[in-house]
Amino acid sequence: MNWSSLLNRTEYNLKQFTLTVVCSVHFKPSHRMEKQETQVADGEKEPKVSIEASHFDDWETFADENIMQQQYDIQAEEAVKAPFEPLSSLAAEYQSGSPILLEKIKVLGEQYAAIRRARGDGNCFFRSFMFSYLEHILDSQDKAEVARIKENVEKCRKTLQSLGYADFTFEDFFSLFLEQLDSVLQGSDTSISPDELILRCRDQSVSDYVVMFFRFVTSGEIRNRSEFFEPFILGLTNSTVEQFCKSSVEPMGEESDHVHITALSDALGVPVRVVYLDRSSCDSGGTSVNHHDFIPATGDLPNAASGNSETVKPFITLLYRPGHYDILYPK
Amino acid sequence: MQPSRARLFKEYKEVQKEKAADPDIQLVCDESNIFKWNALIKGPSETPYEGGVFQLAFSVPEQYPLQPPQVRFLTKIFHPNVHFKTGEICLDILKNAWSPAWTLQSVCRAIIALMAHPEADSPLNCDSGNLLRSGDIRGYQAMARMYTRLAAMPKKG
Repeated sequence: MNWSSLLNRTEYNLKQFTLTVVCSVHFKPSHRMEKQETQVADGEKEPKVSIEASHFDDWETFADENIMQQQYDIQAEEAVKAPFEPLSSLAAEYQSGSPILLEKIKVLGEQYAAIRRARGDGNCFFRSFMFSYLEHILDSQDKAEVARIKENVEKCRKTLQSLGYADFTFEDFFSLFLEQLDSVLQGSDTSISPDELILRCRDQSVSDYVVMFFRFVTSGEIRNRSEFFEPFILGLTNSTVEQFCKSSVEPMGEESDHVHITALSDALGVPVRVVYLDRSSCDSGGTSVNHHDFIPATGDLPNAASGNSETVKPFITLLYRPGHYDILYPK
Repeated sequence: MQPSRARLFKEYKEVQKEKAADPDIQLVCDESNIFKWNALIKGPSETPYEGGVFQLAFSVPEQYPLQPPQVRFLTKIFHPNVHFKTGEICLDILKNAWSPAWTLQSVCRAIIALMAHPEADSPLNCDSGNLLRSGDIRGYQAMARMYTRLAAMPKKG
């Protein structure tokens, strides 16, 4: 028996599984995690696949394919979840947790009413961005914004072409995003309701394609402005821009960092606010919750005409807890 | 039409168009099933695989291109990252580093690159990996060349 590779695989397997578990606090975590975090929605059950795996005796024939299949199955189970909850559910989650966090959640409660949880599969930033953006368009029916983002999408298409990507590798993902964009605008045969939007964002075949669209756009933007992004990427991973895009941007399930957010926000010209919920505290005594606004660097902002970049107010607000993004709803 | 099928049709057209562009790769789709492909790749020069022609079998999942194709060597090959019995290939882009930016054609190129640059620290073929790791380059090359002659070259005469 080939022990070293078996060991590698088991580790790989565990890593994959913990990755999906660690990211998400809203479904039943592994036994080592604190019990009280498991309260959430009813009818929750341990992913079926993991039980099968523990009964799996024939490790000799347990190839990488099986591991990947197992991972896909877990992801498919996670996909149906996108709960919308009042902010109090966040406090409940940390009931006996760090006082700093509880204090911060209280402060958050003054500005924010609710949270929508994204599944924790490494794509949480992109999925949160997708839902938040499409929901904003559905609510606002802002046709000018749709026209503006479509222009940027076309620019991204040209960027990818000039970087040498074959059209057929990305065009399906582009057209699916444009389709969603059109369908949230009301008044046509293909228009959808808010409930349908939630269903679509849970549908793996739509959701994953849109996530992949964002990944292509992000990768194209980073490569296109590699001189700008290079120092940040070196600070994160000590790899080249090319390697970073290949290994940390384009593959599904790779988590996003500020580099990804900056690039996506710049490429599409969509400002994003990220609110940070962590244990950091300031010396001055009072508790405050840090946030950072990602304001697109390019000159074609929605209200750039006024020449005042301070008027740009992000309509996408994400809550960041180390390792995971969810959506926040202001009051 | 299924997105995977549509994508594979596009790749099929591209392969027909670019046939001459990459003489080291000959990628052929099964006549009755677009999810099954075969490839013949040439062993890279200045490696023990030079002069050999290696056959790969592709099995494409329904979720392609979100999920990677499964690829195996059908031709026996002595290489640290290829399973000696099953032909399974250990290559990150066929696993968790996969992205839809890859194509069947570029996967073939990546496999040729892997043949030229074996990764001895994550071996599927430990005998081969151990030779390289212990610095016995000559031993590794001799074994690899022998199997190339035995399995990947047309019989003479």
